Amino acid sequence: MHAVTAPGDIDPLEEKLTHALHALEQARPFAKMRHQGALLDLSARLLQREGGLERLHALATRMDRAGLFAGTDWDTPAALLPGLVRHTLEQGAKQTVVLEILSQLRMLALAKGEAEHPNLTAQQARHFLTQVLALNLARIFAAASEAERVRLGGMAPVVDHLFHFLLDEIGYQQILGNLIEEVWRILAQRPIQLDHVKSMITQISIVMSQGGVDLGENRLGADRLVSALFGPTQGCLDDPGLAAYRQRLDAMDRTSLQQEAYGFARAMHDTGLVSDYHAVLVRWLLGNEQGELLPDALGLSSTGVDVLRSYQQLVHHLIEEAIHPRTAQTLYGLAMMLERCILYAPPIAPALWRQLALRVSANTGTLLGNTLGRDLAPEQQLLAGVISLLGLPLGVGQGNNPTCQAARALSMWSYNDPDYLLHIIAHAARFDGLVMHFEGAPLHSARLLAAHPSPSVLDTDPVSILLVPHLDAIYNEMGRLCAHRGEDPHRWINPEFHGWWVGRAFVIAVDVASGKLINFDAFLRQFYASYHPYYNGNQPLIHPQPAGIAVTDSRAQFVGWHAITIIRVALDQENVMRVYFFNPNNDSGQDWGNGVVVSTQGQGERYGESSLPFEQLASRLYIFHDDPTEELDEFDVPGEEIQRARELAVNSWAVNRLSPKS
Amino acid sequence: MTDNNPDKGYVAILGWSLNAIDAIDRFDRRYIIVAPEWAEEYARENDIPFISWNFERINDRSFEIAQRLKDEGVDVAVPLFEETVEWAGAINSVLLDNPRLMGQALLFRDKALMKRRAQLGGIRVGIFEEAHDKSDVIHFLRRVNQALLKLDGDPNDPIHLKAFDKAGCLGHRVVRTADDVDNIPDEEFPALMESHLDGWEFAVEAFIKDRKIQFLNISEYVTLGYSVFVPATPDLEKWRPRVTEEIEKLIETFDIDFGFIHPEYFVTNDGKMYFGEVAYRPPGFQAFELIERAYGFNAYQAMVMMFDPKTTQQEMDAFFPKPVADAKGHAGCFGVYPKRRVISELAIPDETENHPYFEFHELPSPMENKVPKRTAFGTHWGLLHFFGDDPYQLRDLLKKQEELDFYV
Repeated sequence: MHAVTAPGDIDPLEEKLTHALHALEQARPFAKMRHQGALLDLSARLLQREGGLERLHALATRMDRAGLFAGTDWDTPAALLPGLVRHTLEQGAKQTVVLEILSQLRMLALAKGEAEHPNLTAQQARHFLTQVLALNLARIFAAASEAERVRLGGMAPVVDHLFHFLLDEIGYQQILGNLIEEVWRILAQRPIQLDHVKSMITQISIVMSQGGVDLGENRLGADRLVSALFGPTQGCLDDPGLAAYRQRLDAMDRTSLQQEAYGFARAMHDTGLVSDYHAVLVRWLLGNEQGELLPDALGLSSTGVDVLRSYQQLVHHLIEEAIHPRTAQTLYGLAMMLERCILYAPPIAPALWRQLALRVSANTGTLLGNTLGRDLAPEQQLLAGVISLLGLPLGVGQGNNPTCQAARALSMWSYNDPDYLLHIIAHAARFDGLVMHFEGAPLHSARLLAAHPSPSVLDTDPVSILLVPHLDAIYNEMGRLCAHRGEDPHRWINPEFHGWWVGRAFVIAVDVASGKLINFDAFLRQFYASYHPYYNGNQPLIHPQPAGIAVTDSRAQFVGWHAITIIRVALDQENVMRVYFFNPNNDSGQDWGNGVVVSTQGQGERYGESSLPFEQLASRLYIFHDDPTEELDEFDVPGEEIQRARELAVNSWAVNRLSPKS
Repeated sequence: MTDNNPDKGYVAILGWSLNAIDAIDRFDRRYIIVAPEWAEEYARENDIPFISWNFERINDRSFEIAQRLKDEGVDVAVPLFEETVEWAGAINSVLLDNPRLMGQALLFRDKALMKRRAQLGGIRVGIFEEAHDKSDVIHFLRRVNQALLKLDGDPNDPIHLKAFDKAGCLGHRVVRTADDVDNIPDEEFPALMESHLDGWEFAVEAFIKDRKIQFLNISEYVTLGYSVFVPATPDLEKWRPRVTEEIEKLIETFDIDFGFIHPEYFVTNDGKMYFGEVAYRPPGFQAFELIERAYGFNAYQAMVMMFDPKTTQQEMDAFFPKPVADAKGHAGCFGVYPKRRVISELAIPDETENHPYFEFHELPSPMENKVPKRTAFGTHWGLLHFFGDDPYQLRDLLKKQEELDFYV
């Protein structure tokens, strides 16, 4: 063809990066600036590829010496502040984010002694990275928050990967104290998906077993986490391995077995973690006619025991199918499902029998196998997921899915309408599709997905993996059908999508066309009059209600709109009226700025609930549903309460949204 | 700083360009930068040898700078910008004791004189005339279209209007109607008018020493004012023997012993080559950077070598690669102009960003939302750089960029 010699099998992006790096290396100090941008651009693209981070780590020292940081604050690593890293990664322009990532990689090379820097010792570099990791634990535990997802786009997974990479390289030892506190904070929300947390605890235990770590006051907490996972009872204290433990059970007398059962149950309810040995015990009990120890092994209250006795055969079948060492965590879901008494609702038990007999479609089998592995049959994985979701309605998280609607719906149905949830699970698993109606017309998720396939959902529970693509497809279609109506589409979508109990009055604080606040005082007054027990005749909230909030970051700046469920409104132990709500975000403890910090424990929250004082929640609210048939007495709401909520709003997300109609 | 080779010359660089200084600082010639005083502090801070000089119109003081450089021991002066070409001519006529160089420089600086000289040398040029005011333009437009046998009411063939002494597209206008003529500000006169040639326009970069072409590159324009790439497609490279002949004619006609020239040509549909204009300085649109990307040699260093009287043929033979055959790939760039009147941010389209040929961009984020109206051809906001194996794919890719929005 053409005489130009082809670069052959060298990857074009690598070739370009190498060229840019070479150009930077060659440039005189006064001309470095011109070449930095190109290198950052190319690095950003390489970072987004598999193995890109590792490749750039290998090049980071060379980039540093070439002058990538010349003329910037990053050129003097000794003066860098670990506390600023997070802000840069969350708020920086794309090139600055890339520069920060490359600086971290350069630090890592220094810390590992792979390179030297005149002004920074390996020890200083290591200390710096340790602090960065400790300050970004939230990031290590869960996928990006809305703030970061919106801001970073394609770079969000790169930043996640960076932190895990640094953690693997630096080791857990240095940051154990923070890590342990963080694990406890996450566990207090009782999430279904615990893989991140379990891998953290595994790392903690490895570090502790290596000895020489001074954990100080965190020692006790760390011991509890590690023992809950690896040896909660006398019989498995030494973490003997599953087969050895099974043999020990064969040799135990009844008192010892009972001790084992108590030990596991205590650890489980104490931490929310379930040890793999726990699953071995429960299966052994049923296989060896020791079923009467099951209530002890599940740590059931008299309520739970009652349910278990009423539905013994069903529960035993559920255990037989769904509880394995691989799915041990489901035991906690099972215990909580029994405690919730939902089996007493007539459709539930037969629906679970249907679930037990269900054979999933080939597509569903592939989908579940691809994301959850193939050690267990897809039916078993799905059943385990169903039990966990029914036991922990507020434990579902959106995983890596950028839209929160589906996770919120799953949680709401599990909480409020579990037989409907079981219906759609069975339907989707068998027929690869869901049908929901919108204003009388059926919407078929299978057809919608055929036209616009959606990516798989990762980092979440089996039910979400199955249902979220279908729910998102239907939700998006509903949105499309209302797109031309000139008003917020949730007005029509929410009641049809979630269920009959969603209030038919739709109240919104923002004018959709202009984005400005509209009739905000009236909006707040109606919310108080409808939801606040002091002003609504002391009527507790009956059904969970979808609501929309304006999420702000820790500087109180607007990030985006987010869907939550308002669950209840009640006084906490300090007599503060709080709104308890569900946030489908994977970790709900968030700082929304101006002192508005979402609490997840210690203020009367039940597991999985988030809470804020009433006026603080009201200040971030922009959509709620109300029952139009109730007569509200809005004049009872004191003006100063409205005023306080209003001020919190206009000093944060609504700062640029004031208008004459506000 | 690289150790200077004592057997080579000492060059003065006229004009301030960080790219050029960076390259020359890395080269083996001793150098000194001659540039306006605003650059002096920066030069001092970065140990760049520097003489402060304000390049206004050549005047009595031009001999002063020539003498100063001669005293300094400088062998030759190298112009970086259009405005310093006549200064280099004046200075070199003193340094090299060759008064002819001054006159030669003036030919390069005046587009009308340049065309006339080319025509005298037997080089094919389009129809051209000088315009001193708008009536000249109207007259020329009418005469050209009469010659094309257009009737009243037929759409006119356009004519081109160019400032006498500005580089590249600056002050270049396309005129079709009397209204267009009306829009020309008076300060743009006098100017050169040319008939429009339908055909393939391209540029040549020729490095000349001892009246011989040492290296010749053909830059293919995809769309004038938007995009260019090197080396050209085989379709255009096919013309290389003819191009070489034309450059040799220029060397004779303009009496060029040494230096670097950057002429533009047209190939018309009937296969005739027309000379457009020629400049005696590095071209715009980062053509030097493109050459370096494709061939691996630095064109500023090459240019210095062409001017240095102490350069040997052996040195040049070792320095230059074999045209086209030695290129590692094709390098191109695209100049971005915002397409909308109101913009809010810079957004590189995914199809550009993810293309394996895309390298990087130098587009600034917008400082204000309103885009100033373009006059004439205007200046682009920044360049996108591409590099890849297949010139046709690169050409189509550059063409494709014209449809995309980079500011939304």
